[in-house]
Amino acid sequence: MAASKKTWGKLAKLSLVMLMAGTVVLSGCSSKSGGSTDTSGGSSGSNDGKQVTLKVEIFDRGNTPEPYTITDSYLTRYIQDNFGTPNNIKMEFVPVPRSEEIKKLNVLMASGGDVPDIVFTYDTPTFNRYAEQGGLTELTDLINEHGPNLKAFLDEDAMSYGQYMGKQFAVPGKRAFLGKYSSFIRTDWLDKLGMDVPQTTEELYEVLKAFKEKDPGETGGKVIPFGMTIEPAQYDPLIWSFIQPTTEEQKYTLIQKLGANDYPTLLPGFKDALQFMNKLYNEGLMSRDFSLDEDKKQLTQDVTNGLVGFLTEDYPNLYYADGTYDTLLKNQPDAKLEPVDPFTNSEGKHAKPEYAPNGMYIMIPKTSKHAVEAIKYLNWMAAPENLLALQNGVEGENYEMVDGIPVIKPDAPQDVIDRLYNSGDIAIIANGNFVGDDAQNREKLTTNFPERFQDLHRKAVEIAATDTFKPVNFDRPIESEAKYGTNLQAKYEEMIVKTAMAKPEDFEKTFETTMKDYMVSGGQAILDERTKVYQEMQSK
Amino acid sequence: MSGTVYLRRYWQLYALLVLPLVYFIIFKYGPMWGVQIAFKDFNFFQGITGSEWIGLDAFREVFQTQDFYKTLRNTLMLNLLDLLVSFPAPLILAIMLHELRIRWFKRLSQTILYIPHFISWVIIGGIVYQVFGTQSGMINNVLMALGFESVPFLTDKDTWLITYLATGVWQSAGWGTILYLAALTGINKELYEAAEVDGAGRFKRIRHITLPGLKTTVVTLLIINLGNMIAIGFDRPFVIGNKAVMDYSDVLSTYVYRTGLESGQYTLATVVGLFQAVVGLIFLLGANYASKKLTDESII
Repeated sequence: MAASKKTWGKLAKLSLVMLMAGTVVLSGCSSKSGGSTDTSGGSSGSNDGKQVTLKVEIFDRGNTPEPYTITDSYLTRYIQDNFGTPNNIKMEFVPVPRSEEIKKLNVLMASGGDVPDIVFTYDTPTFNRYAEQGGLTELTDLINEHGPNLKAFLDEDAMSYGQYMGKQFAVPGKRAFLGKYSSFIRTDWLDKLGMDVPQTTEELYEVLKAFKEKDPGETGGKVIPFGMTIEPAQYDPLIWSFIQPTTEEQKYTLIQKLGANDYPTLLPGFKDALQFMNKLYNEGLMSRDFSLDEDKKQLTQDVTNGLVGFLTEDYPNLYYADGTYDTLLKNQPDAKLEPVDPFTNSEGKHAKPEYAPNGMYIMIPKTSKHAVEAIKYLNWMAAPENLLALQNGVEGENYEMVDGIPVIKPDAPQDVIDRLYNSGDIAIIANGNFVGDDAQNREKLTTNFPERFQDLHRKAVEIAATDTFKPVNFDRPIESEAKYGTNLQAKYEEMIVKTAMAKPEDFEKTFETTMKDYMVSGGQAILDERTKVYQEMQSK
Repeated sequence: MSGTVYLRRYWQLYALLVLPLVYFIIFKYGPMWGVQIAFKDFNFFQGITGSEWIGLDAFREVFQTQDFYKTLRNTLMLNLLDLLVSFPAPLILAIMLHELRIRWFKRLSQTILYIPHFISWVIIGGIVYQVFGTQSGMINNVLMALGFESVPFLTDKDTWLITYLATGVWQSAGWGTILYLAALTGINKELYEAAEVDGAGRFKRIRHITLPGLKTTVVTLLIINLGNMIAIGFDRPFVIGNKAVMDYSDVLSTYVYRTGLESGQYTLATVVGLFQAVVGLIFLLGANYASKKLTDESII
């Protein structure tokens, strides 16, 4: 008996070991030999009297307020009543948890028949992979026929982001505001020290040193002059400000796009940026444990405790109601954390990256039989009055029109506010509000914030839009970027961390080893491919 | 007793076996179908059967990647060090618990030692940051208050290794004692009494009665542990590791996660998984064989 028990234990262990491999592929296991027989792109056409069901993906962030559910809320009912019922379409929303969006989407796509008619993702490599493997419906004709509003709303520039090898495989969402980052400084500390707001990188360095030496926040030696993490919002603005003026060719060939962002790994000036970070770190001017802070949690805690003197961040993040600044003010009522723009490049400009004009990739799987209805739905959404209703609710109840801007009423009853709890996830074709021209769109951003912070927010918006440059866009995907992207992002961050934390005399050596590691891990392959594609583009 | 009579008499026992068998077939043997992805250019929409065969191309690619060797080396290194540090810990603890005379104190210590086993690594990771952080960690706050330099427990790769191993012992040692304590109850009490009468001291009793009594259990666990040398849990190195110590903390499982799940390269990830399974099997059988030759104890 004892012996057979042992045998079983051993067998269990054995199969466990052997099947480590199996677990990796479990998710792909259920896939049938997909592909649909319907090659006409879902031409079931006008639904002659028969009601059809249109399935649309929806992000579930687990924040649905009572009495709604994620699939049955004010907005889903509004869509059913105003789009679905008049067109004899039954709307069905398929919830996908926000945090495991890509994984769940992969499973849905591989399952063939059960996939929603409209799916989406922010992830460029995922979109490229679906398009390359032939899983998506080609949309050009459908949009031409059924999507006049959509075409007008997106314009050609935004539309081009939904193309793969010149074919329209996605409807790209459109961003209202392209600004990304702003910097923030404790102006009350500056006042205490009698220093001016820093306007250049050198001035900033002097300020940081003074923060460290004179400790104006009376932190008892715990002061963190420059709050840093290993998130782009903290290291990106610094690094890009060191990049030298670049030619068009350099931009195309030397930038590496990993995931959603452009990385300046090979551009002239990158090494100087790392050298500067090394100096800040070794002089104790930067968060010591920034390599551990992968979600800004530590940074936020340090800021709210009044330890941080200066930081860079996504421009709106500090000023939400009950957000970072609010909490800081609760701890230190006299604190002032205001937007500044100190980083300057060699031309004296405050150069910083901006977003590409596209938001998410909205796709129609090839297996969908309701591609026409799907485009009709997006087209309905693109009509200004419908978009306004989806994003802002009911005039007089949710918002008032002020100078052509729908200003959200902060004193609206909770149940009225709750109507729009997921409007951003419903109005998928727009990332942010489109209420008029650029200035109006920006002002709309600010009116969404608590009144006491609106002036600060307005300034942060302005800084985020100053001296920005656009991401580079190729007319075809760079395959090696899809392949090595995630891995190289990790390598890139490793390079930042290691060079920053090296002793000054070891900086050169550390930079060389980490850069070499980056290059052999795919950096070289991306460089080669981008150079080749660029040359082909030139010779055309 | 003939087979049918035997079966008829004990059929309930066999019925009990059905459920575990079904479990292994569905969850362990079923997924083996997917191993073929390692030899195919896996296309999401074509499925496993529809994808094209590519022979050993994917293996060639993996074996040419520098990261593969780095993560392989780290996996073996972390597991070996873990074996050296974490394997003896429960054994020593179990013997110490066994020697305790006061029952309530023994129970209490056991419970306190188990608890870390039930805490997930994600939470342990949070605790580790709070305790060992350079700037705001508890230990370093004390060190700095006493006028010492702060120690980069988490951001220097060598000190990180110590932190990694120590948290491993803390998390698993108490739980590991269970098997030993169970084995200890099987030792005949009379042996101890007889030894005591013969004038054997405590250490003599441990050496000549307790340790030999645990030999089978130790060997079994050792063989299983060696079989796992090449496999490494994902959460511990992923959670405790960070960008500053990637030279040590990047292991096969985190590598598979990055290439397979995050970059969608299922073929490469399956290759690495299959490689791990095969090498693990070799380790297991090798350890078993060596043990059989040397100590006459084995699990197969």
